[in-house]
Amino acid sequence: MSGEIDAVYVYDEQNAPLIEHVYRSRPPSASAILPLYLAHAEPRPSLLYIPSASPPVTVFSTVESNLLFLAISEVDTEPLLALEFLHRVIDVLEDFVGAPLLSTKVQANYNVVAQLLNEMCDGGTVCNTEPNALQEVVEVPGWMGKLLGGIGVPGTSTPALGSTNPLKQSLAAASVSQGPAIPWRRPGVRHTSNELYVDIIESLSVTMAPSGRLLSALVSGTIAFTAKISGVPDLLLSLSAPGGQHVLGRKIELPVFHPCVRLARWKERPGELSFIPPDGRFILAGYEVDLLPIDPDLDEPPSHMEKLFLPAIVDIRKSLGPSGSDFEVRLTLNTNFPGQSSSSRPGATRSGSGASTPSFLGGGGSGSSGPALEEVVVSVPISKSVRHITDMQASRGDAQFLPATGLLEWRIPTGKDAGTLTGTATLRCSVSGYPSADDDLEDSTPTPPPQSQSQYNAHLPAFFAPSSTSRPTRRTKAQVNASLMPNSASVSFSVRGWLPSGIKVDSLNIDQRRSRGLGESVKPYKGVKYLCVSNRGVERRC
Amino acid sequence: METISRISSMLETARELTLEAAQSAAINRTSGTDYSSRTYSPAHIKKLLDSRHEREVLDGMRRVISLMYRSEPSLTFFSAVVKNVASANLEVKKLVYIYLVHHAEAEPDLALLSINAIQKSLTDSSPQVRTMALRTMSGIRVPVISQIVSLAIKRGCGDMSPHVRKAAALAIPKCYRLDPNTLPQLMGYLETLLGDSQYFVVGPAVAALLDLCPDEIGLVHKNYRSLVKKLVDMDEWGQLATLRLLTFYARKCFPQRTQKVKRAAPEAFYDDEKQQQEAQDDAEEYEVPVMDPDIELLLRACKVLLQSRNSAVIVSVVRCFLYLAPSEYIASAVGPLVALLRTPQDMQLIALYNIVAVALRVPKPFAKYTAHFLVHANDPPHIWRLKLEVLTILFPHCGKHWKGVIISELEHFSKGTDPELVRESVRAIGRCAQGDTSTAGMCLRILLGQISSPDGNLVSESLTVIRHLIQQDPSSHKQTVLQLVKHLGSTTHPDARATIIWLVGEFAGIDPENNIAPDVLRILIKGFADEMEIVKQQIVLLGAKVYLHHLYRITLLWRYILLLARYDTSYDLRDRARLYKSLLETPSSTQLANLLLLAPKPVPHAPSPSETRKDLLIGSATLVVGSDAGYHGLRGYTNLPDWVELGQEPDPSLRTEDVKPDTSSNTTSMTAGDRLDKALREHKTTSISSRGRNGPAMPLDPAGKKTLDQWLEEEEEETETESETDSEEEETDSEEESSSEEEDDESEEETDSETEAVHKEAQQLLG
Repeated sequence: MSGEIDAVYVYDEQNAPLIEHVYRSRPPSASAILPLYLAHAEPRPSLLYIPSASPPVTVFSTVESNLLFLAISEVDTEPLLALEFLHRVIDVLEDFVGAPLLSTKVQANYNVVAQLLNEMCDGGTVCNTEPNALQEVVEVPGWMGKLLGGIGVPGTSTPALGSTNPLKQSLAAASVSQGPAIPWRRPGVRHTSNELYVDIIESLSVTMAPSGRLLSALVSGTIAFTAKISGVPDLLLSLSAPGGQHVLGRKIELPVFHPCVRLARWKERPGELSFIPPDGRFILAGYEVDLLPIDPDLDEPPSHMEKLFLPAIVDIRKSLGPSGSDFEVRLTLNTNFPGQSSSSRPGATRSGSGASTPSFLGGGGSGSSGPALEEVVVSVPISKSVRHITDMQASRGDAQFLPATGLLEWRIPTGKDAGTLTGTATLRCSVSGYPSADDDLEDSTPTPPPQSQSQYNAHLPAFFAPSSTSRPTRRTKAQVNASLMPNSASVSFSVRGWLPSGIKVDSLNIDQRRSRGLGESVKPYKGVKYLCVSNRGVERRC
Repeated sequence: METISRISSMLETARELTLEAAQSAAINRTSGTDYSSRTYSPAHIKKLLDSRHEREVLDGMRRVISLMYRSEPSLTFFSAVVKNVASANLEVKKLVYIYLVHHAEAEPDLALLSINAIQKSLTDSSPQVRTMALRTMSGIRVPVISQIVSLAIKRGCGDMSPHVRKAAALAIPKCYRLDPNTLPQLMGYLETLLGDSQYFVVGPAVAALLDLCPDEIGLVHKNYRSLVKKLVDMDEWGQLATLRLLTFYARKCFPQRTQKVKRAAPEAFYDDEKQQQEAQDDAEEYEVPVMDPDIELLLRACKVLLQSRNSAVIVSVVRCFLYLAPSEYIASAVGPLVALLRTPQDMQLIALYNIVAVALRVPKPFAKYTAHFLVHANDPPHIWRLKLEVLTILFPHCGKHWKGVIISELEHFSKGTDPELVRESVRAIGRCAQGDTSTAGMCLRILLGQISSPDGNLVSESLTVIRHLIQQDPSSHKQTVLQLVKHLGSTTHPDARATIIWLVGEFAGIDPENNIAPDVLRILIKGFADEMEIVKQQIVLLGAKVYLHHLYRITLLWRYILLLARYDTSYDLRDRARLYKSLLETPSSTQLANLLLLAPKPVPHAPSPSETRKDLLIGSATLVVGSDAGYHGLRGYTNLPDWVELGQEPDPSLRTEDVKPDTSSNTTSMTAGDRLDKALREHKTTSISSRGRNGPAMPLDPAGKKTLDQWLEEEEEETETESETDSEEEETDSEEESSSEEEDDESEEETDSETEAVHKEAQQLLG
């Protein structure tokens, strides 16, 4: 087992090779490996061993904005190392070339891409993936530099086209010679307007039993941070949750942190993140919250379930109508978010010191109008044996059945003109399957096997199957329709300005004593954004 | 942890993104033409490259690199590009280097021309230039230069800049691949680099060691403790290499010691109990593993890494704990391992493979996280397959509540429409019943309920699992068979019917006075002609068994069966019938028939699908690929060695570090003021001495030698005397600036003349 990567290949939307970068030895070329990779049926796992290639290779793959990224290795490489590397490549490319990553953008910036790939991995050993460190060593052409200026690339690393300022170069060289004091932060950062943004994104995943009982409710949260601030600032981000600080420690489970976060501080006081940020945008921490903690050794179902608020719940009733071919999806929306009384703005908590009055952005620019429920889509997986769905009647929004994906999608409008959202909406559909052999035979003479069975059923002794004499031997229309019914439904949505865990940013302070290169008078602009996403996350079995 | 690109796309709504995409496409269409080289002929690009203006050369180089990445012919520019190798412009240099590394193999002779200029850059004043030069030189795949590369690495190892030393470490494997004969020299360099004080030099050095000579543990002994200490500060990739090295190292160097310990017996309450206890004393003495303090050092350093953002690091720590540490360590790593399910789907899959492999060994700690493994509707097959497996592994370790949830989940999926999912969940129910016999009854009830389902696939799969369950405990399942027989009337699926008939035959011998087997046979015979062949075979077999059990009391029926089979269209069936017929014809062969037909069947056992992967190394690609990788796994795969035997291990004293007058290691007890003074003194001496050494006068920052934590700590303490240090710093800064400025100017002139020399040289050669 090793950690070597032999090559990185990127293919565009039409699967034409876009980037081909070989790090060591002679792996099969990008055009040679693609058909072998595509030969595996979809969905393709992220690790494929291709023994038919010469030499045999393992292929690690991921897809990002329609571009296919492959990492190739001839030997046993730690799969997660290779995949983490690919994701870092994607992040860095987006950072330098601009998001979303498009093939045209990559093509226009091949020289930057070449330098980046060259720096990130040397001779098969991954070595430098910190965006800040890469900005130090990768030269970006002038107009790109201007583009990047928006995301905080300073003048020092982007000299104007072709100009070589010896002073600047020697300055950069001096920092290089000493080795970076902080490996993730570029020295000499300067911004005209100092800004700090915290984005907390929680992704909700809830499973409900057919009875409507909650089986599990998990939240996985991510804190994204954008630092555009001069010098070497030392920041302190305090989180809070309803119930106080000691609750927070138990609430936030299994956290992972960017290397800049001082772990000792977090251990001592959970909820406090003390760090010197990298310049630009980065993921500060990830965590999860179990909204429904159930002891694994529990024998009885938990009697007092924690009251859980969900903005959208879906329910399904099936085998309706005269022939049992109809089903009804019922969506219950609720925008009375708990803890959001009309007087208080979302997250309008203020910290003590005057220097840190975070100016919070409300939900999606709607200012003080509380959390906004958006992009509500109900997805119902439909069996492959369903031919088409007729009579789709939605009380709100419109539904669409896509046989290619096997999904029935029902979008509910949430815009301003949609009126009040709270309430229920229903969608009624009827399915029809493919005509089967049974249907054809319905009127013709019964086929021998069922006949013979019914014959001997009549002669069965009492202990055999008393009910089976009356049981029809052929599948009835209702039974056929029952097999076409969906057996789960899930709802996707996003809520700006509300987090299911109730976690909030309490304060964001700059430790002036420990920071350097930031004037006393500088009061950076601070912004906080909360977003709850459910990507088919609320799932109802039925 | 989520990646920044995924989070960004979540924050921006889909509409915004598409809008931006369209906009950027439009921008590209207008301004992109400027950068695409299609409008430029090769002659034009050549002219740009030959230009005397740096700006034009740079433009030309950008075009060449674009051509190279577009897989269009760019080799024709080789000589024109090589001429620019000594360009003073850093940007041009970088692009030329990239081009060189890419094409050197195709034009080895021309590539050699550039070596001289690169070699000169190795002594450049700027460490960045030195780094690039070393990196490029080692990257040129022309075996002739291996000795030059080796010398360059040697020089790089002693460089003042840690970046150059890092480049030297990274160059070692490249040099080895160029010429394996350089190994002895390279190992010498490695020894120096492994002892480097900079954590980001050590990481690549460890990676190089693993690449060259992973078994050479002699190089590690002396640096073991410093490696463990630096582990926390290294970048993620360095941590990965170090963890890999130290896990193997620990197995080779720390024998498993045990110590006899007396159990602290509770105070006896009664006297006679006391006597008993004394008698048992010898037996109560038991052995506990004793950990070497050095291995404990490693394990404690690993614990901090469990909060790393890099999933590969977490799996590496899990590997370390699973194979090296007592069980309480692995229990603490289970949570972070499960947390990897938050990663994007491609990594989730790999994480799940590792979770299954760990859960097969230590399932208990995972029970807490059962909720994480519930299958979602949008999980692709390779994900839900592993999730179902984890659920069945955890099943015996959950409380009744979760057992109920798991079973009803499986029941739910078994009624789905995806045949694969149905099959897997029914099998999973079987494994649950097998893992926890107390719930076998419940599982069986669920499976029996599914026999009447119209889905043939579900029915036959359920029956196979039911058969396994019955065979595991035949004595208590007489009633179950009776129930199954009732379903014969309604089930049309041939596999299902065959299974039921076979089971009836197996139970034909029990309770001969009150057995249903002859009756079942009688009824089945009536529909014999209309059954499928597989069912017919079982009917004939049932007949033979019943005939044998009831010792020829059903002779007429038996003859009738034989007659029916004799005129069947299937020759296989006719043959079978003939076999049974002759076997049962003479009473003398009853013994033989008993052996053949009524032999006790082995109890089937359905292992977890990943049971075969259990012994593969956690975190390896072979674990994911499984048996497809062949018997020895993928190339380069080695399993962990066994623990070294007691007495065979290397002397622990080898690991004691050489006592160096290391100033940074024992500064913690000093006051801030003392430290500052000392740092200043050091600063002066080093800056003076460094002037004599490697060319440039670069004052060595004392911070450069310290670990990250020390640096940060120091910074905290420094605040008291900040004003003082600030002014000091400013002074040195200005000094430094002016001196290096001069240096730079000089070197620029030098390189200029160099460029011209190369130009001439190249022209002559081409001329």
